[in-house]
Amino acid sequence: MRKIASAIAAASVVAIALSGCGAATPDNNGPVELTLWTGFTGGDRGAYEGLIETFNETHDDIQVTMEVQPWDTIAQKLPSAWATGQGPDLATPNFDPNIVAKYLDTKSLLALDDVGDTSKLAPAAIEAFTVDGSLYAVPANIATLQLYYNKTLFEAAGIDAPPATVEEFKADAAALTGGGAVGLSIADHETIQMWPILQWLDGGDIVDAKGCSVLDSAENVAGLESWVELVESGAAPVGLTGAESDSLFSAGKAAMQLNGPWAAAGYAEAGIDFGVASVPTGVNGPVTLGSTVPLAISAGTDHPAEAQEFLEWWTGADAQRQFALASGFPPVRTDLAEDPELGANEVVAAFAAALPSARLYLPGVTGATQVDTEAYVPFIGEITRGTDVAKAAAAAGDKINAITGCEG
Amino acid sequence: MTSSPISPAVGAVRPGGRGGPTQRRRFRWQPAWLFAFPSILILLVFIVYPITQSFWYSLHNWRIGADVQEWVGLGNYEELFADELFWNALRITLLFSVISVVLQIGLGYWAATALVRETLLNRIVRSVFFFPTIVALATIGLVWRFLLDPRIGFVGGVIQLFGGDPVAWLQDPNLALPTVIFVSVWKNVGYAMVILLAGIKGVPDSLYEAARLDGANARQLNWHVTLPSIRPTLLFVTMILTINSLQVFDLVYVMTNGGPLFATDTLVTMMFREGFTNFDIGYASAIAWVLFVIIMVLSALQLRLFRYRDVD
Repeated sequence: MRKIASAIAAASVVAIALSGCGAATPDNNGPVELTLWTGFTGGDRGAYEGLIETFNETHDDIQVTMEVQPWDTIAQKLPSAWATGQGPDLATPNFDPNIVAKYLDTKSLLALDDVGDTSKLAPAAIEAFTVDGSLYAVPANIATLQLYYNKTLFEAAGIDAPPATVEEFKADAAALTGGGAVGLSIADHETIQMWPILQWLDGGDIVDAKGCSVLDSAENVAGLESWVELVESGAAPVGLTGAESDSLFSAGKAAMQLNGPWAAAGYAEAGIDFGVASVPTGVNGPVTLGSTVPLAISAGTDHPAEAQEFLEWWTGADAQRQFALASGFPPVRTDLAEDPELGANEVVAAFAAALPSARLYLPGVTGATQVDTEAYVPFIGEITRGTDVAKAAAAAGDKINAITGCEG
Repeated sequence: MTSSPISPAVGAVRPGGRGGPTQRRRFRWQPAWLFAFPSILILLVFIVYPITQSFWYSLHNWRIGADVQEWVGLGNYEELFADELFWNALRITLLFSVISVVLQIGLGYWAATALVRETLLNRIVRSVFFFPTIVALATIGLVWRFLLDPRIGFVGGVIQLFGGDPVAWLQDPNLALPTVIFVSVWKNVGYAMVILLAGIKGVPDSLYEAARLDGANARQLNWHVTLPSIRPTLLFVTMILTINSLQVFDLVYVMTNGGPLFATDTLVTMMFREGFTNFDIGYASAIAWVLFVIIMVLSALQLRLFRYRDVD
């Protein structure tokens, strides 16, 4: 009797185990279904969703589903999913363009040989996504940082125009500080880096073409010292994250901020009377930071042709015009510069104007992510909290060189 | 699988006389095993396998999905012990754990003894203390981070109202760790209180009566009756809180992400950064194993320290 009972029990365990393994049969007649993971959780989310909607409406044979999740979540799930041939067909692996190298290490990316004419796409992005002559991603977007300024605070301080040169920039930041407001709200971590712009304005830089640190160059040290002086005088707060810096500007407690197009909608909603101006001209001419999110295809996708068709459409003129108008981002194409509809949009025009002078953060640098988390972020953190700039620059330089493998 | 050939065989063997019974009982076929099988399977697949696998990772320069994983032996551990960020993270983790556990148990015990009587007010106050425990750490971290924002937060506003200068609680490397510890204590003190309260309520009244007859005062009652009687409860709550503190992640990640200048960088935030930002899985696994060993050693020490001696 007991034997029978155990036999029944065993049989039911096996049955339960098996019932979970029903395999779905693929439907060969319906449209090809592609999934796309992105980290666009911000105010620009709607613009991307609009793109997907348009694509699905105009393509009967391909249907794309976009799953939006935080960048952190993608960083945890996507590497193993793609390396084992699972996960979505397409994804934006990170907001940092340097991520492409990490995924190439594990051969997770499909080489894109059928995404149309890429010569009209932003050259900096294409260069960043090309490895050994093959293209592995297209720009999902391209953004530049520009100078947001609070018109009310400028008026109150008796300044009638945003600063045009780096000298005016520093003077205005000091003059606009007071009455509970800071002159310049600048973040130093958990965001797209803004401090490199300040360095570039004074002729400094982080690494040279060989990946060797130039943080301790004379221009750099002198330039950073002048910014640190402003920080110490209270004109710029210390240790803000990107979100904290944004809150400060939305609360009307910061006169100026370097930020991308994604911030505009939130500031308008918060009722801030703001303008977007070019980043003041540096000692070596105009410069700002550009950033681009890579959009790549899994090497393990079952539908490489359809996925590439989607990328070709995404970077095409119609889609980019729609996206720019909805989001305020400049188009990823260079041939839309003269487009009258885009030119009439103030935000798009302001950010697109900076494209020619935009530089990427640590492009092509070995271990760029680690340089950022373990050397550059701590370096800015130290100098804004009183460590001697020259000393900190030398120490951070050693760390950077150790990571990039610079021979010095 | 469906029949049970082992049980009659084992049961039938009667090697007679010495040692027989123990040997016979060793492998007795029980249908209970079958019912436990799904749970054991889950345990093996989701607990045992990942733990051993992570040790395997830690011996490699592991890159997810690569065809060939580079074997580095104990190289990751050597690199780790030479990494000043690791020693910093270890120091922060231990500091965080010791201070927060001592405060949580101390304040929890004090609250438990103060609120032990069953009055309506006491019940309400207990619920208030316990409330933060049921809220997710990440939520608490976000709320506190907002409250503590020096320029637009509530705490800064109150300080300014009284004419003070706003304090950069989370941006100042000297204040960030104490601030995070404060929030952690605030959250967990209610948990410690409830568990200790249950322990205190379990102490028989006769012990107190006897002690009072012997002329013990309140302090002596506390020290010689309550505390020794709730030793198993103390052990339990200390161990749980210590292990939780050593593994602290969500609170730190949300409030400071290990910053500023690594002032709140714990072993787990460092592990997360190495694993999921720098994608150095082998190195991150080595950190995980060091933490695992530390937790094992500390738990063993605590078990010894609080050992329940029947002679007492």
